[in-house]
Amino acid sequence: MIEFRSVVKDYKGVRALDEVSFTVEPGSVTGFLGPNGAGKTTALRILVGLSRPTSGTATIFGRPYRELEAPGWHVGTLLDANAQHPGRTGREILTLGAMMLGLPRSRVDEVLELVGLTDREARRTFRGYSLGMRQRLGIAHALLARPRVLVLDEPANGLDPQGIHWLRGLLRQLADTGCAVLLSSHLLAEVERIADRVVVIGGGRVLAEGTLDELGRGRDLEQVFLELTAKADRRAA
Amino acid sequence: MSDVTVHGAARAAGETAGENTAPKPVPFHRLLLVEARKMADTRSAMVMLGLLAAMTVVSIAARGVDAGPQLGRLTTTAGIGYGTLLPAIAILAVTGDWTHRSALTTFTLEPRRGRVLVARCLPPLLATVAASLFALAVAAPVTAVTAALQGVPAEWDLDATRMLGWTATNVLLIAMALAFAMLLLHPAAAIATYFVVGTLWNLVGNVSELGREIARWVDLGTAVGPLAAAELTWMDAARLATAVLCSVALPMAIGAVRALRAEVR
Repeated sequence: MIEFRSVVKDYKGVRALDEVSFTVEPGSVTGFLGPNGAGKTTALRILVGLSRPTSGTATIFGRPYRELEAPGWHVGTLLDANAQHPGRTGREILTLGAMMLGLPRSRVDEVLELVGLTDREARRTFRGYSLGMRQRLGIAHALLARPRVLVLDEPANGLDPQGIHWLRGLLRQLADTGCAVLLSSHLLAEVERIADRVVVIGGGRVLAEGTLDELGRGRDLEQVFLELTAKADRRAA
Repeated sequence: MSDVTVHGAARAAGETAGENTAPKPVPFHRLLLVEARKMADTRSAMVMLGLLAAMTVVSIAARGVDAGPQLGRLTTTAGIGYGTLLPAIAILAVTGDWTHRSALTTFTLEPRRGRVLVARCLPPLLATVAASLFALAVAAPVTAVTAALQGVPAEWDLDATRMLGWTATNVLLIAMALAFAMLLLHPAAAIATYFVVGTLWNLVGNVSELGREIARWVDLGTAVGPLAAAELTWMDAARLATAVLCSVALPMAIGAVRALRAEVR
């Protein structure tokens, strides 16, 4: 459903992404794993059309995001939970999204309930939200149109252990109904708890891809991750 | 491509709600409604709009006491607020999405950025027309009350051309504020530039005759003078057109091109 094909992104002579290729199929929660600065965010922004690749293509349903008929309907996106007007209430932020998508206001109440934000919390301004609440609000926003593809950048950041457990359950349920979920994280422990497949990226390159079992082959996944990224660092140096 | 249209499988966790209707691209009127709503959906925005309304009422009432019951004159007194607070409101409407980085959300829901930018600039312009009418609606009762209190006859005659010229002037000056906002994408910088540019042109005009002549052709604040007074000659119209080109169209075009091509961060 999601396909990166030889995506290259250069910033002023610095190669942020180098021939990145991988796919995310329906029914899976894929963790996009890599250290800070590995290129995760760049790749996700290219995927949803906020930035253009230098070469290669990133497609959803076989088409670049900008060419989808109604992308907001098919793809739920959370790129930065902090990127909202601090003076708006959580409910207002969701209402604006629902208006854009032409959804009934009742949908705002539904997604609020889905992510566990109370009516009182929703009436507070974004300024006073903790990072965990902001993540829940952002996930609620991404789920507004019941999309079949979810793209989430560091959604577990700031969530407490219960929150991570909840996120896992939510994404698992979505995947079971045929959704494709791609979420990034720089923390292996998070990804291990949430995703069933992993794409490891380092220094702008895909270092490994597969299910947690395939990658680990019985070994500690953290060890695998450190070895992979260390190799990438040596190559870059 | 059936994946794109079939939507039935998309069930968020724990939900049994009915199907979504067939997804369509975001129609323009919806973008317009959303952008208009964003102008008034925070406390600070409401405070600014309230202040503007209060300033309009107070300045018109004060002018009534001072100058007597003249409807036309009282109406245009509202220009005090419309020349100061309204540009700031317009600039914040354009820059807000960038400064708070909610552009990430806006442009993922509607990747056709040009439509968003147009939808964002229209509400402040429409609000300016509404504000001009609001001034008239405030000036009418103030005229009546002032006439009664001062015991003098009210001057009700309203020169329609003059009113149109004044409204058009307000709209053009707000368009300039929007253009600076689009160019700089930073609220404080755009507001400062808007006011500094006016002062600078005044200075240039006062320094030399040549400076004054250039200002007539380039500076919108100078070129709208004859329009506001509804004494527009063909020469003035030509000056106004070049000033709009320089002070509105050019910065707006540069800003738009950049916003269309920029990486949204």
